[in-house]
Amino acid sequence: MNMRSNKSTVTALVLLAGLFAWSGVAAKELVVWHAYRGAERAAFEKVAEMYNAQAAERGVSVKLLAVPFDAYADKITAAVPRGRGPDVFIFAQDRLGGWVEGGQTIEPIDFFIEDETLEQLLPNMMDAMTYRGTVYGLPLNYKSITLIYNRALVSSPPTTGAELVDVAKKFTSVPTGKFGLAYEYSNYFFHAALMNAFGGSVFDANANPTIARKENVDAVKLMMRWYKEDGILPADPSSALISTLFNTGNAAMVLSGPWFLAEIQPGVDYGLAPLPTLAEAGGAPMRPWLTIEGVYVSAAGKHKEEAYDFATFLVSEEAALVLALEGRQLPTNRHVYEDERVTGDPVLAAFRKQLETAVPMPNFAEMTLMWSPVTTAMNRIVKGSATPEEALQTAQEQVAAGIAALRRGN
Amino acid sequence: MSIIAGSAHFEDAAAVAERAARRPVLLQPAAIGALLAAALVLALGWWFASQARVERAEDAWNRAVIMQLMALGEAAAALEGRDGATSEAALQQLLLELDSGDGYFRVVRLSGSRLLASTASGDHDDSAAPRRLSRDEKWLFDLGQALRAAVETNVSEGVFRRRQVHIELLGDERARITLPFFVAGRVAGIVQAERPRDLGVERPSMWLPVAGALAAWLAIGGLLALGRRRGRMPDPAGRHWGLLAAGAVVLAGVTLGHATLEVGALASWQAELNQGLAARFETLREDVGFLAGVASVSVDPGPGNRWDVDLYQRELGLIGGDGRIQAEAVAGDIAARAAGLYKAMLGNFALGIILLAFFTLGAATRSGRALRSNRHAYMYVLPAMFGMLVLVFFPFIYGIALSFTDQTVMNVSEPITEVFVGLANYAQILGDFEVFRSTAAGAVINYQNFYWTLFITVCWTTTNVFVGVSLGMILALMLNTRGLRFTNLYRVLLILPWAIPNYITALIWKGMFHQQFGVINQGIQMLGGEPVAWFDGVFSAFMTGLITNGWLSFPFMMVVILGGLQSISQDMYEAATIDGASKWQQFWQITLPSLKPTIVPAVIISVVWTFNMFNVIYLVSGGEPAGANEILITKAYKIAFEEYRYGYAAAYSVVIFMILLVYGVFQTRVTRATEATTT
Repeated sequence: MNMRSNKSTVTALVLLAGLFAWSGVAAKELVVWHAYRGAERAAFEKVAEMYNAQAAERGVSVKLLAVPFDAYADKITAAVPRGRGPDVFIFAQDRLGGWVEGGQTIEPIDFFIEDETLEQLLPNMMDAMTYRGTVYGLPLNYKSITLIYNRALVSSPPTTGAELVDVAKKFTSVPTGKFGLAYEYSNYFFHAALMNAFGGSVFDANANPTIARKENVDAVKLMMRWYKEDGILPADPSSALISTLFNTGNAAMVLSGPWFLAEIQPGVDYGLAPLPTLAEAGGAPMRPWLTIEGVYVSAAGKHKEEAYDFATFLVSEEAALVLALEGRQLPTNRHVYEDERVTGDPVLAAFRKQLETAVPMPNFAEMTLMWSPVTTAMNRIVKGSATPEEALQTAQEQVAAGIAALRRGN
Repeated sequence: MSIIAGSAHFEDAAAVAERAARRPVLLQPAAIGALLAAALVLALGWWFASQARVERAEDAWNRAVIMQLMALGEAAAALEGRDGATSEAALQQLLLELDSGDGYFRVVRLSGSRLLASTASGDHDDSAAPRRLSRDEKWLFDLGQALRAAVETNVSEGVFRRRQVHIELLGDERARITLPFFVAGRVAGIVQAERPRDLGVERPSMWLPVAGALAAWLAIGGLLALGRRRGRMPDPAGRHWGLLAAGAVVLAGVTLGHATLEVGALASWQAELNQGLAARFETLREDVGFLAGVASVSVDPGPGNRWDVDLYQRELGLIGGDGRIQAEAVAGDIAARAAGLYKAMLGNFALGIILLAFFTLGAATRSGRALRSNRHAYMYVLPAMFGMLVLVFFPFIYGIALSFTDQTVMNVSEPITEVFVGLANYAQILGDFEVFRSTAAGAVINYQNFYWTLFITVCWTTTNVFVGVSLGMILALMLNTRGLRFTNLYRVLLILPWAIPNYITALIWKGMFHQQFGVINQGIQMLGGEPVAWFDGVFSAFMTGLITNGWLSFPFMMVVILGGLQSISQDMYEAATIDGASKWQQFWQITLPSLKPTIVPAVIISVVWTFNMFNVIYLVSGGEPAGANEILITKAYKIAFEEYRYGYAAAYSVVIFMILLVYGVFQTRVTRATEATTT
């Protein structure tokens, strides 16, 4: 036993030494971290190969490393400021602010960016990559929630809130466990679609919390009407519950994102449609939060220009088409959505359409403080232990206190 | 075996004590302790004093450069928007005027990323300013953007959190300072200077620490000699404390003397530095004066002196706009710095006292003796101790150090000495007694309060251990029935909950408690009851955790108790039956007392496990409703990884550790007591 473990240690050391020697041989090797799996990973690897083929003559090569998602963000936080880690990494914009505030993690790329790169992107995408007026990444893919419905149960998707409630009510039958609409309404990420329709927000431009503002209260009240009075929503909605309900034909409509599609059983015939408009919000459409995966150049990297070059390749039309068609992702390159293979794809086309009303989720470092108090507030409201006004006010105070504790001056 | 070794050891000890008493006074532990403690205090004090000097010299050097840069920035801002060629030439001329030949100045405008003027050696001929920044100079642009973001952060948040002056040490005793300049209240660009940084710090002299330590040694030695001559030997304990007190007085005198001397030296030096700076300020004003003639631009520091600023570009007010030294402000500055040094010296003194106590109270003698007599044992455990040091003690000590800081996600890259806040975190955790908060609707419990969470944790631990032990006991007694068939099958089935990873069990139970679809509520409805919203009430949500953890913890108790039951001799029961004892009496008089040595350690372990049972709370109720059912460990996790207040969370964890430490001490006593009853 002991001998064997010794042997394997030696083997590992030899391998490791070999690895170092080998990496010394390659002229400029960019290490890229990502968290893709399955089809997304295959497409991303293909894109990297495409890049390697054309960059070989410049002596640049890209090596991909798939990092498990759970540990990903913490690994970046721990490794990069200490001069280790990748040259390029990919992550959604929600952690951007924290990494910038923490320092020495993400390289600003304002200086590199050229107008041609920006011109090919969909509108609004750069907002998510900009923090305090400085650009830190190129947007790669986006995700947002949309309306997913069971075609066998819903013939034509609702376009207004009133229709949504009508269709849902017809189907709902609490005793048999059937619900017209199922989504994680007490999770603020999903609720944000309603909040944004009312023109609400969780932070102002200076990252001060605005959780208790009137528009947010109105949005929560509408959600509570759907839940209590219309009774079209199940209690305690978890993601597992929602996919079970949808797959067993016990939920007619679901509000969720691309990740949900993988959970739908093969037998279920589903369709996608943009989120409806809300008469209560003056006819404005529900505007879901947009999460945007950015490509970041690591502040610790040794080949930053090459790293940026790879990032621009990733957002080029050539690469984006592979990501869209093979990885089933939603690239930010707008030319992709002119290709008929993409426009003819119901899923990609539907999410592209939803993008018209989606808004980027704020990337303030303070966002991370918001989730816990707001989740508590939403639970209190749903369970009736506090009015929307009270609960949101408490959450706002908690977030403000948390922020004050973070922003201590000198 | 161990008893024999122990008694031999005691005989030795008496002989050693005898010998030790005959040792010369200066080699007595108390005298050596005084020497070492004084040496420690004075060496640390010397180090702090030299750090203070270096810091002061750095400050003065920085201030001189910052003054120039602020003036340069104002000139650059004033020249912006003037006629191009003249203002460019004027700016370049100003740079040459300020340049002393051993470094360079640069002015960069962010918009268009232009180098407006430069005296750097590479920036001539083809690459002479003004020009666009090249790709190699990306860092200059990024630095400008970072400073702009810092200024905007400070303005928008209304606190000075981000430094607005960037200081970078380059090798070779050179340093580079960069700061932003403003046009119409917004950051327009940066000005930068690089030059050699020769601080010329004179280190404090070494003779004082050495002399002080020797004096302390002799003083305590003399005291011991005096005591010996008079032949008055009070009982050892009294003698120990007396020596400690005497040593403390000596140590205090030495420390105070050292601190006073250093503070005096620093104060006079500080005044000198300010005079030097005032002179440089005068020269600077003359240097920029020519601009009025060339470009009809006049730059003036204003009455409060906008050029003499700190790292947040706030006026220091030490040198007025007229070049005069503001005596009051300078005195305040010196006092503040002196207070810092005194505080550091106080810390050293406390360390010294600990070291002194280690020697005078006899701990050093005892440790030395233990080390010597068990030399081999300590050698064998040395590798393990090293492993523990790296894997356990280092993270542990780092955690404790972190608990004295204000580290958050916003300042993780700063060294922890920069964010030191002392005991503030502990005061905030333990000093908040607002368990009840009065609102319009009457008093409500503040679930975020530490004492509420502690209360819940204690309830959680006691109820869980009670449930685990009782269930385990009942099942063990049932399994121990003689003549029971399929015992092994039952045993395997009953151990299963323990064998399944507790994450999975916890998630399954969470699903079972679902209000509409959970099997428990469906069962209740089938029996005609109303479904329970399990996670809505404090009590019902507590019950979800208790039930889940009860399910997880009874198999362990059952196995332990079953083992204990099987080792009880049947003879006792037979004898009891003959004596006419009932089953119930047998249980209380025979079974339970015989089980005590097995149950007590199991309970003690189980208390620690349950106290920190993160998974069940986090996965089942998640602390709902509104954090009421949080236990200390889940609360610490939320503070660290949802609120990102690392320092505060570390203090929370240290408090948890202290509670368990107290419990641990108590536990050892109890275990000893049970051992005593069994042997």
